Amino acid sequence: MVRQQRPANTKWFYLGLGIVAVVGVGLIARTASHDSAASAVTDVKATPAQAEGYLLGNPNAPVQVMEFADFECPACGQFATVTEPDVRKRIVDAGLASYRFFDFPLVEVHKNTLPASNAAACAADQGKFWEMHDRLYYGQPDWNTEATGNPKKIFLQYAKELGLDVGAWEKCFDEQRHLSRILGNRAEGERRQVRSTPTFVIGTKMIPGAISYDQFKAYVDSAAQQVAAHGAARADSQSGKGVTQ
Amino acid sequence: MLIALLALIGVLVALYLTLYKMGVIGTLVCQVGSCERVNTSRWATFLGLPVAAWGLATYVLLLALALAGLQGIAPRRSAWGLVLLSGWSVLFSAWLTYLELFVIHAVCMWCVTSATLMLLIFISSVVVLREELRGA
Repeated sequence: MVRQQRPANTKWFYLGLGIVAVVGVGLIARTASHDSAASAVTDVKATPAQAEGYLLGNPNAPVQVMEFADFECPACGQFATVTEPDVRKRIVDAGLASYRFFDFPLVEVHKNTLPASNAAACAADQGKFWEMHDRLYYGQPDWNTEATGNPKKIFLQYAKELGLDVGAWEKCFDEQRHLSRILGNRAEGERRQVRSTPTFVIGTKMIPGAISYDQFKAYVDSAAQQVAAHGAARADSQSGKGVTQ
Repeated sequence: MLIALLALIGVLVALYLTLYKMGVIGTLVCQVGSCERVNTSRWATFLGLPVAAWGLATYVLLLALALAGLQGIAPRRSAWGLVLLSGWSVLFSAWLTYLELFVIHAVCMWCVTSATLMLLIFISSVVVLREELRGA
């Protein structure tokens, strides 16, 4: 390679190599900035209209968290099974934040995701959305598109395991009773320019990707500080008003 | 020259996957296969580090060895280094491909690209080493 491959045009080779490197890094940076653009400040006051999501925790907690997720997306599954238990225990149960799940079914790539959203919505009718949510994510490899073309059989099994009224659940599932709610949840994500799943809205920040617990906590802390600072500023302005009056 | 070019492409592919694992990139572009399924599986980590990060380090080393060879710095040692490192990496890639096909049941096009690059680097390195040994 060495002696034979050192022709006079070596400098052209290095130039070409440099161009490949610059173009490659540029493309990667473009992809990354495309994603980080989504993690910019979002309009937190844009409260969902039709979309209500599924609430966990105290709705009046200082920080509001929204998750836009697809039941069949592996990264969402990883977050739900690895990170979310800690988030619930240490953040939601501790009253630091409320947590609202919004379906964002990527029906273009995941054939079984909409039935899964339906399964969870029908479980919500019986007060067991989160139980079904967890069961679906833990069992994702058993019912995803690669595993089966008929996920209902498995979802029925989950409904039985969770102690649901299976007849009522099945009727709801077959009727796709909550399709508009699910699509409303997705529309809310689209309105907020969610581009990948999972995507979180924590306070005023939108963060794409299955972030770690530490990152999640840091975002919640930052949002809480923002809320506290905002509250203090309002109190100051009100007391200022009092002086001038 | 070919080895340096292949290694550079490998650096870019591995960098892309590493940034995904670090959460800098939210979604992988993946027209073929199930890249996310593979890269979020438990086999996407090796000895506590993402496999993509190991790949990145390996490609950077291969690129450095290839450029050293091109510059005439310890050409025979560079050629040996290339053969040994890429040979080991081909075996590792074969194991990862086996996991994709028979354990995870999903294929990641970036991983297949990387495995192909590594195989081509290994074959080219063997050719280069033979030339070095003949020229001695």
